[in-house]
Amino acid sequence: MGLRLGGMAILALALAASQAAAESFETRLSPSPLTDGTRVNITGEGRALVTWDGNILSVSGNFQDLAGNATTAALYDGLGIGIPGPKAFDLSLTQDKSGMIWGSLQLTRRQLADLRAGHFYVQIDSEKAPDGNLHGWLLPPHPFPGEGVPVAGPGFLPQFDVSKK
Amino acid sequence: MKKLLATSVLAVALASVAALALEDGPFTADQARGGAASYAANCAGCHGARLQGAGEAPPLAGASFMAAWGNRTTEEFYNLIKTSMPYGNGNSLDAATYRSITAYVLTYNGAKAGNTALAGTEKTRIAAVADGKTPANLAQAPVPAAAREQPATSYPPGRFGLTVAGELKSYNPVTDAMLAKPADADWLMYRRNYQGWSHSPLGQITTANVKDLQLVWSWAMNDGGASQVTPIVHDGIMFLSNVANTVQALDAKTGELIWENRIGPAPTRAYGATRALALYGDKVFVPTTDAKLYGLDAKTGKIVWQTVIEDAKEGYSNTGGAIAIKGKVLVGLTYCNRYETKHCFISAYDADTGKVAWRFKTIALKGEPGGDTWNNLPDEFRQGAETWIAGTYDPELNTTYWGTAQSKPWTRLSRGSGIGATLYANSTLALDPDTGKLKWHYTHAPGENFDLDEVFERVLVDHDGSKDVLTIGKVGVLWKLNRVTGQYEDSAQTVFQNVYEKIDPRTGVPTYRKDVLEAKIGDWISSCPGPAGGHDWPATSYDPKTDLMVIPLHQSCVLMRAEPMEKKIGVGGNSASQKLFEMPGTDGNLGKLAAYNTKTMKAEWSFQQKAPFLTGVLTTGGGVGFVGDFDRRVRAFETATGRTLWQTRLPTSAQGHIVSFAVDGKQYIAIESGLGGGSPVGKPTTLLPDIHHPNNGNAIFVFALPEN
Repeated sequence: MGLRLGGMAILALALAASQAAAESFETRLSPSPLTDGTRVNITGEGRALVTWDGNILSVSGNFQDLAGNATTAALYDGLGIGIPGPKAFDLSLTQDKSGMIWGSLQLTRRQLADLRAGHFYVQIDSEKAPDGNLHGWLLPPHPFPGEGVPVAGPGFLPQFDVSKK
Repeated sequence: MKKLLATSVLAVALASVAALALEDGPFTADQARGGAASYAANCAGCHGARLQGAGEAPPLAGASFMAAWGNRTTEEFYNLIKTSMPYGNGNSLDAATYRSITAYVLTYNGAKAGNTALAGTEKTRIAAVADGKTPANLAQAPVPAAAREQPATSYPPGRFGLTVAGELKSYNPVTDAMLAKPADADWLMYRRNYQGWSHSPLGQITTANVKDLQLVWSWAMNDGGASQVTPIVHDGIMFLSNVANTVQALDAKTGELIWENRIGPAPTRAYGATRALALYGDKVFVPTTDAKLYGLDAKTGKIVWQTVIEDAKEGYSNTGGAIAIKGKVLVGLTYCNRYETKHCFISAYDADTGKVAWRFKTIALKGEPGGDTWNNLPDEFRQGAETWIAGTYDPELNTTYWGTAQSKPWTRLSRGSGIGATLYANSTLALDPDTGKLKWHYTHAPGENFDLDEVFERVLVDHDGSKDVLTIGKVGVLWKLNRVTGQYEDSAQTVFQNVYEKIDPRTGVPTYRKDVLEAKIGDWISSCPGPAGGHDWPATSYDPKTDLMVIPLHQSCVLMRAEPMEKKIGVGGNSASQKLFEMPGTDGNLGKLAAYNTKTMKAEWSFQQKAPFLTGVLTTGGGVGFVGDFDRRVRAFETATGRTLWQTRLPTSAQGHIVSFAVDGKQYIAIESGLGGGSPVGKPTTLLPDIHHPNNGNAIFVFALPEN
């Protein structure tokens, strides 16, 4: 019994250590760059969460209310926060107007640095918006306290970083 | 010689082939003819009767239009104007009208009518049917009356002048001493005091009782143009500017009209009312949207004098209001974004006579100090540096502080200004108000590239003997300078920005991103924030008790594409296309309100909300602040903490400058509901389609505590 308890304790400690080491990044998925003329096709919203456990990057998310079925989803490595760049990884998705995205990936050291610098973003394309329907930059968790609810300081304020490229 | 001849023949042949190669347009002649009248009635007010463009309205004809639209389709053009035009009123015309306007624009660009009516779904490449050359019969046609004077939607045409005669029982002339130290009950100028604080010392409304605020009176104002006004209050009389350069004197306690002067003309562009009247002596000063300055008798509203600031027929305007300093009225000028031999300037006029006292040109020309910052461009192609927000003043230093807008066109590539700083665009100017002489300047955004103005309020604050001037522009950086010397002191980032890689901590000079500097015409380049700011015209408020500056902020981004600009006198516009997106890390909250300690430059508190703010902030001696937004909401908040204490909603978006005043010992809060304007309204209209407000409803609402 004691041994079993001890084993569980060790497992719990290992899990806790693993969780402590894990880093997470998240984003709201919102319409890709649009004009009044293209707004009718670039609709919907969603959320994405990625977790880096030291070896694997796990991606999960959902989307809804697209004007046409989703066709592809991918992680892109931009030039900086808010600056588009090349595709880095394809993701799996539900090819529907609402659905899920997911994937498990391995990152190079440089890609990990880019992820931590906020360069990575998720993009979902659709039949109606093949060049980008939803997107969002992956940033550290930043819970929203609610409309008009004050926080101390400037709130979540990412700092721009282009030093890597 | 033979070779030359052959080359010439080949060139002529190629030109002929090119001309012949134009296909018939996907529209009929009848559609184009009908489109001329529809264009004049709905579009010419902003884009110009000759489709030449002005202000934020791009050219719709010629090389600039073809550069922007030649490789895009007629369907795309039709969809764009249908969903977004007239500006802020997309889908307000019937589909046939949008189709006919599309046909007219194509015809104006050399397209020939075909046999099939435009449906709007044709994927015809515009360059396949148009070459940007206007047929002579259209280029020389008289300008339709509707394009010369577009009546506002709810404005009775022809009714101008002193439409309501009346007389104040008494009027205390406004003196230099009053302006230097305004009575607590008054709101004598744009931001109440010369320091630009937008702060009222009145303390009857407190954090404890603000929840009891009630509407005392309201007053509908002229619709038909942008309204972002500041009620000016002196001795219980409210002077109110309206669309169509209308000025009214109202009893500030009851809302009774005493006199009204509809100076006119009816608005012919997106901007309809000056942001700020000015008072001095026995007069009210009215800078108008047709670039004139009027001195009205404050007791009767009658015109005492008028003077021309600049020729409105050439597109110039004043929207930024005026400031009165030692017997002079100082005004700015806007819409200096066409290639002309003239340039933008700040000017001063004698308050008694209207006679011009001085002008300070805000563009450095060849051979002048700073003239070498324009990449050797000819003088006529150095434009912008508008002053569309009135300045502030330090009586002790006898210095007036003004901000300037960016150079035009917006992007370095379209301007051809290279890496030049383009003085005196996007700068703080310190001028001698007696002579207009420049004391110093500081350029916040040298060679700006994304329509990120640094034109907004200059706020004067003292700390332990240090005389500072603070300002914040569209990039969202709060700047602090020494206002005696113009030396950079400090800065703080208030929203996410990715335009600058870094800001030199010693000089404040920003370094642009590498991909911005290496961009080519046609590249889509990211700008966070976009042209709505960061910070825009809705002004900050400085609370001297807490040393907090409360700043309304906007959070959205754009991809911007530089378009080529034809280097030709008369051509105008900003020459860039935009696509909008939410700012990363904001979770779709376009609105942010933040309070910064002006000594430490650290944020004390902040909050976010979906709707962006469209009013200036008011702080008061009772520790209560007020702000209004795109979603018709007005919030009262505790200045020290940002905690919401009271809120209400107006009939349409809350817009303009909130003021406080007192009559017979009672404190009032005046808030405008208003419409129209540029990016601060346009961006959320596109990005927040679920937020609705009526497209009319300019009005003023006055609140106070109950009698008991």
